[in-house]
This record gives sequence, structure tokens and C-alpha cells, in this order.
Amino acid sequence: MRLCYLLALLLMLPLSSPAATFQAGKLQQTVLPNGVKLIVEEDHSAPVAIVQVWHKVGGRDEIPDKTGLAHVLEHMSFKGSKKLEPGEFSRRIAAMGGNDNAFTATDYTAYFEIIPSEHVDEVLDMEADRFTHLRLAEKDFAKEIRVIMEERRMRTDDDPNSRMFEELSAVALRLSPYRNPVIGWMQDLKRLNIRDVRAFYHKYYVPGSATVVVVGDVNFDHIKQVVKRTFGRLKKRPVPPRFDPIEPEPIGPKRMTARLPAQLPMDVIAMPVPVWHPGKNDAQAAALAVATEILAGNRSAVLNRQIVDKQRKAFSVGAGYDPFSMGIDLWNAYGMLGPKQTPAAFEKAFWAAIAALRDKGPSKAQLAAAKRGMIADEVYAQDSLYLRAREIGTLESVGIGADKRNDWLAAIRRVTASDIKKVLKHWIRRQRSTTGLLQPEKRS
Amino acid sequence: MKFILRPSLALWLYLVAIPAAQAIPPIQEARLDNGLRVLLMEAHNVPMVVMRLTVPAGSRLDPEGKGGAASMLAAMLEDHTRRHDYVAWADLLDAQAIRLGAGADRDGLSLSMTVLKEALAEGTRAFAEAALQPGWNRQRFAILKADAISAAKKSLEEPGVRAAQLTARLLYPAHGYGHRTGGDAGSLTRIEMKDLQDLYRRQFRPQGAVLAVSGDVTMQSLLAQIRPLFSSWQGRPEHMLKDVTAPKEIRGKQGRITMPTRQMTIQLSRLGPSRYAKDFFTDLLLNHLLGGGGFSSRLMNEVREKRGLVYGVYSYFQPLATSGPFVITLQTRADQADRALHVVRQVMQQMSAGSINARGLAAAKANLTGSFAHRMDSNAKRVSLISMIGFYGLPLDYLQRWKQHISAVTLAEVKAAARRYLDPEDWLLVRVGPQARQ
Repeated sequence: MRLCYLLALLLMLPLSSPAATFQAGKLQQTVLPNGVKLIVEEDHSAPVAIVQVWHKVGGRDEIPDKTGLAHVLEHMSFKGSKKLEPGEFSRRIAAMGGNDNAFTATDYTAYFEIIPSEHVDEVLDMEADRFTHLRLAEKDFAKEIRVIMEERRMRTDDDPNSRMFEELSAVALRLSPYRNPVIGWMQDLKRLNIRDVRAFYHKYYVPGSATVVVVGDVNFDHIKQVVKRTFGRLKKRPVPPRFDPIEPEPIGPKRMTARLPAQLPMDVIAMPVPVWHPGKNDAQAAALAVATEILAGNRSAVLNRQIVDKQRKAFSVGAGYDPFSMGIDLWNAYGMLGPKQTPAAFEKAFWAAIAALRDKGPSKAQLAAAKRGMIADEVYAQDSLYLRAREIGTLESVGIGADKRNDWLAAIRRVTASDIKKVLKHWIRRQRSTTGLLQPEKRS
Repeated sequence: MKFILRPSLALWLYLVAIPAAQAIPPIQEARLDNGLRVLLMEAHNVPMVVMRLTVPAGSRLDPEGKGGAASMLAAMLEDHTRRHDYVAWADLLDAQAIRLGAGADRDGLSLSMTVLKEALAEGTRAFAEAALQPGWNRQRFAILKADAISAAKKSLEEPGVRAAQLTARLLYPAHGYGHRTGGDAGSLTRIEMKDLQDLYRRQFRPQGAVLAVSGDVTMQSLLAQIRPLFSSWQGRPEHMLKDVTAPKEIRGKQGRITMPTRQMTIQLSRLGPSRYAKDFFTDLLLNHLLGGGGFSSRLMNEVREKRGLVYGVYSYFQPLATSGPFVITLQTRADQADRALHVVRQVMQQMSAGSINARGLAAAKANLTGSFAHRMDSNAKRVSLISMIGFYGLPLDYLQRWKQHISAVTLAEVKAAARRYLDPEDWLLVRVGPQARQ
């Protein structure tokens, strides 16, 4: 799942790459005096644009007994502002022939509208309004928190695989905020109140933490004027520091079992690994990304071929690494186990596949295919305005910077077989891992 | 999983919607000598091409008791070929970043490919090889079948899958639409290689098939590549798409599945319009008002926004060669299920009694017509649309006229459609969730 962040990366391809003819649109940006950053990518191929407003706040900024707060605030942002009635924001967008939505992650919160490009100015005005003038009424909160509890029941509590993964994250990580679910623990949701939401809003929704991203059929100079007129009016306020602790190095393997109503087991192996810090660990992060692509990326993926097709120790496998995170990423691989497939056999096959790649390194063809695939995926991602805008916003919000996208591709192109061996040897080790098993609970 | 998205986006991407001012690129048409229809929409902004071949070999033709056969055939076609075993095949495709996929729905079976422009020749060759030179490797069949059976068992963890299974069975007794496309563990177990070969031999034919393409290519260069590859392919399928019997109307049936979940999944269903329904655009607007329009729909407003009973409640219909299902679905904490169901029925009752106003209809029209450009703003989306238009034999100016069709719908027509479709007594009810507390 999180691998798609990586695949969504887009950029100008280096001239020596196979897709040498491809050039992504260039980014144009400016920072207003109050700290709001604007990034625009023009694309005039269809009369459509996407507007995204990103806040550098998410699950990681919550205190421990108030998990879920950033996401609750996201929901409450649709419940009216000084100018607009609850629900009116979305109604107006719909009337333009657009659609709006939002998402919350551990590292950021973002709102977006996909609209006919003639309406971009009005949408920017509406977004600037809800940036500082949300109503956050008690009676709306009382309803919305129940909606969010239903969301948690649907996504997590009634899905044994999600529930297991949630628990595994908390067991695998000591300090990293990825150990807490973005949607919040149910016991916390039950105790949150509207005062918590208001305090969080006032503290974290500040101009200096915001990035406005516009991709599509627009003109940068014009958008710059509109953003100055709308977001430029917001008062400069202090930018709170972000919670970004150093995750302690694991001191030995950990293991957990989740006994839940389920049909078949799932086994997950997870461990903290470094994320990308441009200019500091390019070779390391890119090698982890390419290694993960070789293990689980496409049709020829090593884990699938070895564990599913050859050894028959699982009926489905996968792995994920997100280099565009804060602090660390929780690298993970999973196996879905059929009726006669055991966790012990799956784990043995998994570690043997890692050892083989680590000791022998990838073949020339494997390495070339992985790199070409990753570059091609950048091109394919150009097909979606949503993915293009999301990549820009993500890179800004986790502190990498959207202007670093070329550096990332360059780093990928430089990865060697020996880099892959090195990162596997150092980071993907049983001694560092936490293994979680979803064990179907027998029900009469 | 660190990522949470509010519900309406995913659904919204399936919406049919239309361009404001800008001209829509025309669909270019060609026909090979063997009858294969080729439809192309050119787009030169990204150096890539997406194509999809669709044949009338959907799950409705799965042999009796062998639900999932069409899906298994799709899985076999993309897995290996006569000339390449699965390992060589995967290496070949990945070396050129050729993304090949296959799948079935109730009416059709599709093979799809996304490829860089620079690898189009290699991609097209591989695409034709997958379609026309199946490998029928027995060992691979056994493995794919075993994995499909496990996946089908695993999917029973999802209340939505259980509900859809039961809904299909109740709504389409003795009809090809009466099972989920992927089948279930039992039906998959009974499938043999011979079933797939039969289906392929009977239905995988150029006449009635459509090759839809969108991307950085012209018709001339496309045809130059595909003609030599597809010209030896011959014949007409045994069952054409339109040889389908209309399902019988079923009213008011109920079904119940017990699962140890916190929520109750409620699924209401009835027969909906086909692709050829004369009031198709009226029905589309009706659904948009009811529960297809995300946060602006009536169900979302009443059940979620006003009462906080659900995270999401949606309605949709699946237009097929004949009446597809029309479904309303929601999940809520089990002890609230009756209340939520009551609200849904109230909304249906009100709408069928005429409670739809001109302002609401105008807003729905504005949303659908305004969002049409976005509906077509990627190669992937354009290929889906062109495939649908070609496969169901809709006019090639369908997209150009779409907005007109929507605008022409009157309030009286929508009210009549609401009367026809939304009587709560007509709908089947399936509930999946915990047993009631004693």
C-alpha cells in the first residue's frame, strides 16, 4: 500500500534514461510573507485543475491519549466556517462540477478539490476562509465523532488484517508516531471533545505550515495573485515544532499474535528502516527502494516467485517501503497463508529469499528491470492530476521538498548491486524484526 | 496504514459525467478484415499508451456450478503463453515496463496493457501473444486455481463480499448474473482446464470484440502494428453480447448472514436499467440524487450528515447487457441497523412519492456535466469509456452528446423514474452481521 507513494513519484527523466523523450512540466513556486508556500505545475491538456491545501500536521502531532485528533479536525473542516454553512463547502464544489475530499496521515493533512479550471480562483478563496474561520460547533462534533467511530469499525475493528497490522505497528515501534493509528484508538475517540479540536486547530493550522498545490490548466502568475489576495491575508503565526523522535534500534526479534475472527492467517514481518534525507543518505534510501521493488514490485518480483510460485508457502505476498516519510519508515512484508500453509514455513522461505538476494545480489537484468519499472511508473503517474499533486504535497510536507524529485531519480539510477546487498545486510535482518501473526480464532 | 481518505472519492471516480466548453477528441474507428473493431482516442501529452481488448466472455457464461471460470481464464491468459513460461514471460514484460492485466466482469473479459510509447512495438507484440497464444500449462493452472480458492476463502472475512454474494444469488436465480464474477471456494474447486479452453474457443473471437486505445499514437501507426499480429485471428463467438435473457423480477426477498462483526452491513437491491435503457440518463440522475452523488446525495445527507449513523451510504446501478443490479449499501453499529434502514426506506418512500425538486435536479445536472472533463482526463479513464462504448455498441458520438442527454432530462421524468424504481417494498434486503442480543 505504502509503496504506491514511491511509484507515484514523478519527475523530469534524466537524458540517459530509456524514456529520454519524457519531460515533466516544471514546478513554479513562491513563498508569501506569512509563510504560505505555493507550488504550481501547469498542464493545459484538459480544462481541469486540482487544488490541494497541505498542512504540516497529522497523527504525529497528537499527544498520546488524544490519538485521532488530526483526523477528527479534518472531518470537522467540512462542518461550516464563518462564511459557509455545514456541508455547504462540498455543495458549492459539486455545483461547479467538481468534487472535494481530504486525507489525513501521520505526517500531514490535506484537502483537495478537482474542478473545471475556470473555478480555481473561487476555490482558493473558499480554502483560505476555512483555514482560519472554521465553526467547530459542539453539536456538529457530537454527530461527526460517531461517524468517525463507524469509520474505525469499518476500516479496522471489523477487518482482522487491518486490526492486526495496527497492533503490529504498536509492537514493532517504541517511539515513532507510526505506532499509533491515524484514525485513533477507540478509547481515545470516546474521550475527545470539541475543545481538543479547537485547540489543535488554532495551534497547528498556521500559514507557515501550509503548502498550496495547484496542478492543471492554470497560469502561475495569475494563481500567484489570487493566492496573495486570499491566503496572503492570513496573519503570520508561530510554527509549532513537530514531534520527530529518534526510534531506538531494536535489540532482538519480537513476535506477537492477534487472535481474531478470521478465515485464514496472515503473517507480517516488519522493521524500522531509514527514510530519504536528500544529500545525506541518497544511496541508502534509493537502494532500499530498489531492493523493495525487486522483492515485491512487479510480475517478476522475487518474493512472489520464490514463496508463492515455487515453494508454495503462501498464496499471496507483498512488501512495502515509503522513503518519503518522517523519521523512519516501518518496512514490512506480508504473506497470506492458505489452509495448509504455516507461518513457520512462510517465515523460513521469506528469510531465505532475503538471504539469497543479500548474498548474491540482483542480476544485471533484475536491477535494470527494477530501475526501468520505477522510471516508467513516474511516467504512468503523469496520467493522473491527483497523483501529481499528491507527490508534490507529500515531498513538501515531510520536509524533503518538491524540488528534490530529480535528485531522487538520479539516486535510483546510481544504485548498484553492491548497494542492494549492503542495505539488505544492514537493515533487513531477523534480529531487527517484529513478526505478527493473524491467527483465526475458532468460533463455534 | 497511515492513510485515510474520506469515502466519496473512490466512488466518484466511477461516476459518469461531461465537458463544459472544450471539444472532446473524437473516437477514431477502424475495423480489421477479421471483424475486430479498433477504437482510438489520441492524447499526446504523456508518452504512453493504454489499450484494452474486450470479448463477450464474462462470468455470465461461467458453466453451471463453476462460477469464476471467466476470471480464471483471464488469470491464465496473463500468466504465461505458448511461447513463454511464466518466468520468462514475467521477465520479458518487466524488462520493458509493460504492465499487462486481465480480468472479467459479468458481460466481458478484458486484457489490458499500459506501456511507454518507446516500448509500444514490444508491448503490442506481447499483448497479442497473451491474447492469441494461450499456454494452457497444467501446473500453472493448478497453482493459480489453488491460490484463487485460498483468496476466495480469505475474502469471506469481508462483510461486503458476503453481502454481494447473497444479493447476486437472490436477485438472479437461474441466471448468469447470479454469482460473483470471481466465484467462491466451492465453484472454483470444480473448474477444470477444459472449462477454460472451452470458454476461450467459443467466445474469444474477433467479431464482437473491441480493442480500445488511448495515448500517444496515431491510428495509422497503431494499425500498422496490430494488423500483422491479429489478422490470423478468426471467427465469431457462439454467444454474442446481446444474446442474454432478461432476468425475472424478484420482489422483497430477504437474506441474512451471521458474522462476528461490530457492524451490520445492509444491502438493498433490485433490478436496475441495462446499458440500452431508453431512460438511461434519467436513471443516472435519479441515482445521483439518491446516493450516487457523494456528499450531495439524499442518503448521505439523511443517514450520515443529519444523524451520524454511518461513515458511508451509497447507491449505484451497474448497467449491463440486460438489467444489472441497483444497490443501496451501508454499514453501521449493529444496534443502529434498524434505525438506519428505516431512514433509508423513508428517503426512498419520499422520493418515489415525488419529493424531488427542480433545484436539486439542477444541482445534480451541474455536477455531472461540469465534471465530465475530469471524467476523461487520463488515458486509463478514456480507455474504460471507449471500451464500454465499443463493447456495448453505443454510438461513437456518445461522449459528445452526453451533456445534451443529461440536460434534456426533465423533473417529471426523474419523478416517474423514482416511482418506478424506489418503492421500498420492491427491494431485496440482505443483512450481514452479528446475531441480535437476546
